[in-house]
Amino acid sequence: MEPTTNDLNMNLFDRALDRLCLTPIGLAGLILLLLLPFIPPFNQEYMLRWLIYCGFVAAMSVGFDFTAGYINIVNFGYMAVAGTGGYTSALLVINAGLSPWIAMLAGGVSSAVLGLIIGMISLRLRGIFAACLSWFFGLAVMGLAIKMVWLTRGPLGLRTPRLFETESNVPFYFLIIILVYLTYLICKWVVRSKMGLAFQAIAQNMDAARTSGINPIFYRVFNFTMSCAIAGVLGGFYAHFYGILTPDMMHTSKTVEILAVAYIGGRGSLWGGAVVAFPFIFLMEIVRSTLSHLPGLNLVIYALVLILVMIYYPGGFSYFYDTHIRQPKNRALRYFLNGREAKI
Amino acid sequence: MSKNNMSDTLTWLKTAPGLSIVISIVVAVAATIDAGPYLLVNMVVTGGMLALVATGLTLMLGVLNIPMFAHGEYFMIGSLTAYYIFTPISGFIMEHPDSWLVTFGPFIAILGALIGGAIAGAISEKLVFGPLRRRSTDNWVMNSFLLTVGVSVLLVNLHQLIFGADFKGIVGYWQGMPISIAGAYISLDRALAFVISAVIVVLFYLFMTYTRTGMAIRAVSQDITGAEIVGIDIEKIVMLTISLACALAGVAGGSLLFMYPSYPTVGLEPLYMAWFVVILSGLGNILGAVAGAFMVALLKVITMEYVGAGWDFVVPSALIMLILIFKPSGIFGSDVRGVLDK
Repeated sequence: MEPTTNDLNMNLFDRALDRLCLTPIGLAGLILLLLLPFIPPFNQEYMLRWLIYCGFVAAMSVGFDFTAGYINIVNFGYMAVAGTGGYTSALLVINAGLSPWIAMLAGGVSSAVLGLIIGMISLRLRGIFAACLSWFFGLAVMGLAIKMVWLTRGPLGLRTPRLFETESNVPFYFLIIILVYLTYLICKWVVRSKMGLAFQAIAQNMDAARTSGINPIFYRVFNFTMSCAIAGVLGGFYAHFYGILTPDMMHTSKTVEILAVAYIGGRGSLWGGAVVAFPFIFLMEIVRSTLSHLPGLNLVIYALVLILVMIYYPGGFSYFYDTHIRQPKNRALRYFLNGREAKI
Repeated sequence: MSKNNMSDTLTWLKTAPGLSIVISIVVAVAATIDAGPYLLVNMVVTGGMLALVATGLTLMLGVLNIPMFAHGEYFMIGSLTAYYIFTPISGFIMEHPDSWLVTFGPFIAILGALIGGAIAGAISEKLVFGPLRRRSTDNWVMNSFLLTVGVSVLLVNLHQLIFGADFKGIVGYWQGMPISIAGAYISLDRALAFVISAVIVVLFYLFMTYTRTGMAIRAVSQDITGAEIVGIDIEKIVMLTISLACALAGVAGGSLLFMYPSYPTVGLEPLYMAWFVVILSGLGNILGAVAGAFMVALLKVITMEYVGAGWDFVVPSALIMLILIFKPSGIFGSDVRGVLDK
C-alpha cells in the first residue's frame, strides 16, 4: 500500500487505524467481540458455540463478497470449496500426522488450486453461467466426498482432531474472531490497492475495462483464487473445530446461508456481511433452539428477510448505514463513525 | 431432390446437435443390448418427467430471463397437492372398488397438481417477481436468481413447518398388471406417467406454435418493446408464462408421486437435472430441452448402471462442465434472446 495524501494530517492513532482498515466504531466493535466471552449471558459454552458459528459465517461472507461484490460472479459452490479445504486439512492431519495448523494452510492451498481451476474454466462465461458452473462444480465435489468412502468415510463423517486440546470453546472463539478480522483486512487491502479499481471496472463493464488496458483474465482468476483460498482456510477451521466432517457441509443450502448473510449485509462492502452475521445468525440460533417444536421456522425467517432485502432494499445493511447513520451533525460522533476524514 | 436432402442431412449430422443426438442413440442402443431393455424404459420414463420440468425452466429463462432456482419447489407443490387430493380418493376406492374413480381418480389428482403449480406460480409472480420488476431491472438475471434462491428456501421450510418432514407418498395410482414390452415389465403408473408427460409436452409445443397467446409469448421473448407496440399486454403474458412454467413442474411432481413421495427437499433432484438439461440444450430452446432431457436421462441411467448409484451427480455434472467450457451456449444453441438483460 502506498501512502495516501491525507497521511500527513493524521496523528499516529488515526494512521494506524487507517492502515488496519478500521474506523473507531469498528475498533470498538472488535474489542466488544473480544470481550464477549466474559460477559455473563455469553460465557456459557453453548452460546460460545453459536458465536463461533456466527464468526465462521461472517468470515465466509467476507470472502464470498470479495467475489460477488467486486467482480460480480456468484460463486455458488463456495461451501464446497471450503469443504475441500476442510477435507484436505483433516486428511493430512489423520493420514500424514501433520499439525492441524499447517494442515489448515494446506487446505487453503488446495482450495486455491480448485478456485484457480474454476476461475480458469469459467472465464468464457457470463454472470449466470459462471454461477451455474461453480454450482455444478460444487455438486460434483460433494458427490465425490459422498462416494469416496475409502477416503472420506462418506456420510458417516470423518473424525478430526481439534485445534486446541481443551474442552473449552474460548480459544476457538478468539481464533475465529482473529480469522474474521484477518480475512477482512486482506480483502480490504487488495480492494484498496489499484487491483480493487480493476475489479470494479471489470464488474461494471468488461469491454470498457479491457479498452483501458486492464487484463480481465488475470484479475478474475486472481480474485477467484484468493476468495477460494480464504474459504479453504476457514473450511480447515470448521473441520478442526467441530471435530467431525460430513459431506453435508458442502451442500448448496449452506452456500445459500452464506449468500443470504453477504447480501443482507450489503454487497460490495466487505464489512456488511461480517457485521450482520453476528446478530442475525445468533438470533436464528435462538429461534431454532427455543422454538424447536417448529422446525424450519428460522429458515423461513431467513428466506423472508433475503427476499425482502432483495426486492426492496438491494443495498443491504451497508447502504442503510452509509445513507442514514454515517453523516451525523455532531463532529465527535462523526469522527467515531468515520475515523479521520481526508481534508479537502 | 432426394440427393439434396441427403447432403442436408449429412451436414446436419456434422453439427453439434446432430453429433450428440446420433451418439446418444448409439449409446442407448448399445447399452440396451448389453444390459437389457429395462434401461431404455427407465430412460424414457425419467426423460419424460425431465422434459416437463426442463421445459418450464426453459420457458422462464427464455421468456422472462429468470434463472429459476426454485423450480424444484413447484415440483414439490405439485406432488403435495396430488397427495392430498389422492389420499381421500384412494380411501373412497377402497370402499367402492367398482366406481369410476378407480380409473379417473388419479387424473383428478394430477390435474389438481397442475392447477396447484399454476396458482403457486401466479402467487409468486404477484408477490415476488412483479415487485422486483417494477422496482428495478438492472442486473436483472443475477437479482432474480438470488430471489428465486430465497423463494426456494422459503417454500422448502414452509413445507417442513406446515406439513412436517416425513415422506408423504402413495403406493401407486393405478392397480393392474404391468405391461410387458420386449421382455421388460413396466408398471401401469410409469407407462401412464410417460404418456401424460408426452401429451403435455406435445400440447405445450402446439400451444406455443399455433395459438395467438403462444405467439405472443414468443414475441415477448424476442423483443419486448416490439411486442408492446403491437398491443400485447406484457404483464398478462409474464403472469401467464410463470404460471405455465410452474404448472409444468407441478404436473411432473403430481404424476410422479408414486416414485418421488412428497417431502420438503424432493425438488432438489429434478431441479439439478433440469438445470443440466437447460445448460446442455441452451437457454430458451424448447425442442432442444426435450431432446436434452432424454440425453440427460440416458446419462443418468447409464451412470447408475455402469458406475453405480450415487455417482449420478458426479458424472453428469462433470460432463456438463466440459460442455460449458467448450460450448457455452449449449449443444442446440439458442436464437431466443432474453428480455431484461441485454
